[in-house]
Amino acid sequence: MHADLVGFGALVLIAGLLARAGRRINLPTVPFFMLAGILLGPGTPGPVLVAHPEDLSLLASLGLILLLFHLGVEFPVDQVLGSGKRLFVAAGSYIGLNVGAGLLFGFALGWGGYEAFVIAGALGISSSAIVTKLLIEFRRLANAETPVILGIIVIEDLFLALYLALLSPLLSGAGSAGELVLRIGLSFAYLVVLFAVARFGARLVGKVIDSNEDELLAILMVGLVVLVAGVSAEIGVSDAIGALMIGLVIARTPLRERVERLVLPLRDVFAAVFFLVFGLTIDVGDFGSVALPVLLAVLMTVVTNVVAGLIAGRLFGLNQRGAANVGLTVLGRGEFSLILATLAIAAGLDDRLGPFIALYVLVLAVTSPLLAANSRYLARIIPDRLLHASWRYVREETISTACTHLDRINITESDADACPQCVDSGDDWVQLRMCLTCGAVGCCSDSVNNHAEEHYRQTGHPLIRSLEEGEDWRYCYIDGALVREPMGATRE
Amino acid sequence: MGKGIYVQELPGIGKRYDVDLGSNTQRISVVVRRDGTRDLYVFAAGKDDPVAVIEMSEEQARKVGALLAGTYFSE
Repeated sequence: MHADLVGFGALVLIAGLLARAGRRINLPTVPFFMLAGILLGPGTPGPVLVAHPEDLSLLASLGLILLLFHLGVEFPVDQVLGSGKRLFVAAGSYIGLNVGAGLLFGFALGWGGYEAFVIAGALGISSSAIVTKLLIEFRRLANAETPVILGIIVIEDLFLALYLALLSPLLSGAGSAGELVLRIGLSFAYLVVLFAVARFGARLVGKVIDSNEDELLAILMVGLVVLVAGVSAEIGVSDAIGALMIGLVIARTPLRERVERLVLPLRDVFAAVFFLVFGLTIDVGDFGSVALPVLLAVLMTVVTNVVAGLIAGRLFGLNQRGAANVGLTVLGRGEFSLILATLAIAAGLDDRLGPFIALYVLVLAVTSPLLAANSRYLARIIPDRLLHASWRYVREETISTACTHLDRINITESDADACPQCVDSGDDWVQLRMCLTCGAVGCCSDSVNNHAEEHYRQTGHPLIRSLEEGEDWRYCYIDGALVREPMGATRE
Repeated sequence: MGKGIYVQELPGIGKRYDVDLGSNTQRISVVVRRDGTRDLYVFAAGKDDPVAVIEMSEEQARKVGALLAGTYFSE
């Protein structure tokens, strides 16, 4: 027991140090926890700090449970439901494309049917934690595509719940097709019951764990969550989904904010242990045999992400830069892929799944921040016709929603087809712009006279739009940025 | 919300408040994350990317807020 404690402590410390070194260059933490497990585990030559990962299995499942519980607690139900149909279409096509391609890829690998379903989820569902951190680090919180990205990953979290409900009965090894249908039915019925509890019984559940003292609330909370997760696992629905659902229940009680604050440090520590333990089970020698499939899977994920980004861009009227940012930012894979890998290992599926998903997550962990940071190069090569509008001059620029002059918009349409001042003086112009405050039409900055900007200097009217066929971008002279109304605008 | 302050929901992160400073050369946005962290985005005229982003804890934000509000306080 003594030796175990030394090894485990050293392992967690090293994992933390590795992750901290990674953060210096803006890499996500999850892959580093896993990497520490891989490097110092029994499957890799060199020092072995923990020889029997199964000794840590209780701590690891606690990590998994708290991870999903926290996800449920902080799930922004109202923000998602209020964000409109377009977002669901965008998220639906993201999930459809990525999970669909993952499923095809899984079947093409030929490792087996159940394995294909695990691969579909692991390749298809992105990591909320990694994506959110990227947006904050890249200072993109004021960009027009950011609410779209956040909406997509939040809906993905919801999809994860449904996917787990489908997958756990599949992996439970049902003997016949009838039994399988029964188990899937049971799994979804259980989901419905928990949804009903979330809707109608949240107050009651809140009473069970309520306490004015943080100490007691934390203890009661952990007890309830682990119990619900355990019961869920007993009746053949995964513990993960039970934890997620009880999180959604707690989120509807007045305890939500305190629970969110209390569970966070617990989640961080035990989730790290979960990723570590997953790493411990990986034999580094297996990486060779899965290297080629991983490479193909990464390439496929990048392609499906970019396509999904273009669809979202089309739906929300983003320019090339916005669409590229959507595709390349949502690329991060992490905790959910590892959760699915753990489920697969527990169910005794093909041995190659563990190393395959581990290597896939590692490769994307390094490449996705790099790609997201350099999205402007992708924006340069996206042809106009793929997006809703053509953006001749502004395809690589960031569209901001943080413009405070949008209340100066009075008029948005015009059928003018000439710059009146240029007509008077007999000059030519290149493109036409319209003032959104008074409707005055002038020529663009590539024209000899640039009457649109002259109008701004004379009147102080800040916003213009392009009057070119098929273009609908708006520009603010004061902010010097492309601007648009925020999605689901709540301008007060 | 007061006049000249605009709110944008950021699902999963929090809310962003865009402040109209009535100025042609600078504007700021404040992101209030759900964990209490504040990000202060500072934009300059003619730049579409922020020129500075300051991340503050709730405590630090209170201090800065008190200073900005002109409330005297000593440590």
